[in-house]
Amino acid sequence: MSLAIAGMGWVTPLGNGVDAVWERLLRGDEASATPISEQFADRSYSAFRVPESAVTGLAHPRLRRASVISRFAATAGLDALQAAGVKVNSQNAGRIALIFAISNGGVIYTKRFYRDVVETGAQSASPLLFPETVFNAPASHLAAILGVTGTTYTVVGDGAVGLLAIKMAEDVMMDKSLDYCLVVGTEEVDWLLCDAYWRWRLLRSMPPIEPFGKQKRGMIVSEGAGAIVLAREGPITIERAHSGGCYAKRAEAEEILKRILRDLSQVEIDFVISSANGTFIDQAEQGALEQVIPDAVTYAAKPALGESVGASGLWQVILGAQALRHGELPPVLHADPAISLRLARSRMAVTGARRAIILSSGVNQQVAGLRLALH
Amino acid sequence: MAQLGSTTGVKTPERVAVVAAGVVSPLGFGLAETLNSLRKANDCVTAVTRFSVAECRCKTAGQVPDDRLLAGPNKKRRAKRLHRASHMMIHALREAVMQVPQFEPELTIIGTTSGGMSHGEQYYRSLCRSGNLRHAPTWIANYPAQKPVIDAQEEVLGFSVQCQVIANACASGTNAIGHAFECVRSGRYQCVLTGGYDALSELVFTGFDSLQASTPEKCRPFDRHRTGMVLGEGAAVLALENLELARKRGAPVLAEIVGYGISTDNFHITQPDPSGVGPRQAMERALQSAQISADEVDYINAHGTATIFNDAAEGKAISQLFNGVPVSSTKSMMGHSLGAAGAVEAVISLLALRDQFLPPNINFEALDDSLDLNVVANESRSAVVRTAISNSFGFGGTNASILIRRVEA
Repeated sequence: MSLAIAGMGWVTPLGNGVDAVWERLLRGDEASATPISEQFADRSYSAFRVPESAVTGLAHPRLRRASVISRFAATAGLDALQAAGVKVNSQNAGRIALIFAISNGGVIYTKRFYRDVVETGAQSASPLLFPETVFNAPASHLAAILGVTGTTYTVVGDGAVGLLAIKMAEDVMMDKSLDYCLVVGTEEVDWLLCDAYWRWRLLRSMPPIEPFGKQKRGMIVSEGAGAIVLAREGPITIERAHSGGCYAKRAEAEEILKRILRDLSQVEIDFVISSANGTFIDQAEQGALEQVIPDAVTYAAKPALGESVGASGLWQVILGAQALRHGELPPVLHADPAISLRLARSRMAVTGARRAIILSSGVNQQVAGLRLALH
Repeated sequence: MAQLGSTTGVKTPERVAVVAAGVVSPLGFGLAETLNSLRKANDCVTAVTRFSVAECRCKTAGQVPDDRLLAGPNKKRRAKRLHRASHMMIHALREAVMQVPQFEPELTIIGTTSGGMSHGEQYYRSLCRSGNLRHAPTWIANYPAQKPVIDAQEEVLGFSVQCQVIANACASGTNAIGHAFECVRSGRYQCVLTGGYDALSELVFTGFDSLQASTPEKCRPFDRHRTGMVLGEGAAVLALENLELARKRGAPVLAEIVGYGISTDNFHITQPDPSGVGPRQAMERALQSAQISADEVDYINAHGTATIFNDAAEGKAISQLFNGVPVSSTKSMMGHSLGAAGAVEAVISLLALRDQFLPPNINFEALDDSLDLNVVANESRSAVVRTAISNSFGFGGTNASILIRRVEA
């Protein structure tokens, strides 16, 4: 079964609006890094934050106390539905499924809630904050805003979770009573998240992200949301969603990626949207690409947009769909000229491109891939 | 495998067998101990020992003892770094796989609410106190929600298939089983591992306490004097397989999952719609999915948290749909294990079907005046149980029900 992408929306550190951000990427723009600090720590980090202007104008009682992760998701989700021409009402609310992809979740409120517990004791813990710490809070807010009454799932995982959510959407859409599935990936940034990735030796303190770099200097985390509306028919389809796999040791990631690429490249592939983020996963992706489809043009957006983990897979799918639709790829930023992959080093025409592979390699053991097709 | 009907051209849904199950919870390690606790109506809720609850209203929880949990056969160095949730998943998966050693899952779908939260707590506390952060990379690496699932697969199966981790709050476990059921029923998959897990954590414990959802007293689901929930922990795994294939290869069939219903009521992020519409829709959809009537249900394993709002809404929905069907909330015995609850309660329902008894709803004195329910009060009892429905409802207005049926040999 292949599902079509009927609408897309995103909120990114380069703003919102699918075409507006796409134009900025084509121009070679890169998000601005913002320093993030914490009262009890000397160390500060850099992150790519979403500009406030990207989530203004969204007023709903359910979002009054919600964290930004829910605002990003709602903005992207509503934009995607609007782009698809889908108006949710009491007649069709039961025929729309909602699937969220999240990795770190509401880390800002989680930290605030637990900080109160640690610093002043359990009696000062806020009952208003706690519900927003739950992974499915963003999904429940969007479901309430839309009035969705049926299937709503929040899937949790690493950077591959966006593609896993799309795979799940395929399974859910086996139910023929459903017309659409709105898939949303969302994430927010906090100092704590940066510190955790830094201690895990996956973060660098300042940009740039150097994709496929031998030094593996690390990533810069970012935030935002991506959303796609999946429908039964349309010109751009998820032709095949691969279930991927989990690696026990980092060295195994490349083998899983090769298996994914072999399965997805049974037909001619015009380009690949890589999840290269400056960490160890880049080497795995590079090795797999070089061995399985060495001639495919590769694009990586994370040097421009950052690593948004839960949102990143959805961003990659949107980028793939945009490239198929417009017949060109933005430039890969900060890539060493010595890298042997066929990278889109400058704005590159892919006129007539029909198929693209999206690869998502998470830093916490999950790997997934899918193939987009333009009909 | 889904087959086309010979005359209609409509796909006939595949039947879905439960071929194995494993469980660890405050009720015990494994099916036998769990059954024993249910039969004896053991109260497995004890004083919290994992963290300080001095400032909380509630002081108790259902806890899995570490001396047994961490004393498994695995002495590898790596095992010592794993989160307690990983150990629970390992115990549950090992028990399931021992029943069907040749089971080869294509996908794993597991529910949880908080992953390895206590590792996040340790990390944060160390940061705040400028403490020893030497173990921080281990805490961080073992914090993500998919980690216990992958750990268990690696440890028990020796490999890890892709996992979908569903975090739909307290409905997660039932959602995971329900979605896994749909995956096999559609014919897209033949063998899927499913279930749920959650380990007790200070943050979550304090969170429910801050909402005054948890009680300083006993957990008394559906009781007139109920005052709230107590938390629990655990893990349960079910191996689902295409029934026809399972029979062909001679696999044991513990039961058949026949229906799944999911609904979302958008009333409030922490409270159900008082009309009971969300739970009612979930149960109705499960019945529709199974194409059976409410009269065919012999036992209801209720969500039954013992909060004022949940039990009122769920009780109303049950009495609207079912006429005097026996109901119990086994959370009264072991607490609410959140993401594990739906999976543990599915296993409890399996045991009720297999051993033909009704699990008890303990600490029960008198039914809430506003409810019309046939509560299995305080003691288990023998009964003919052919079909059971298991409910789970969660924050965000997410509701799920599964229907499980005994399979005659």
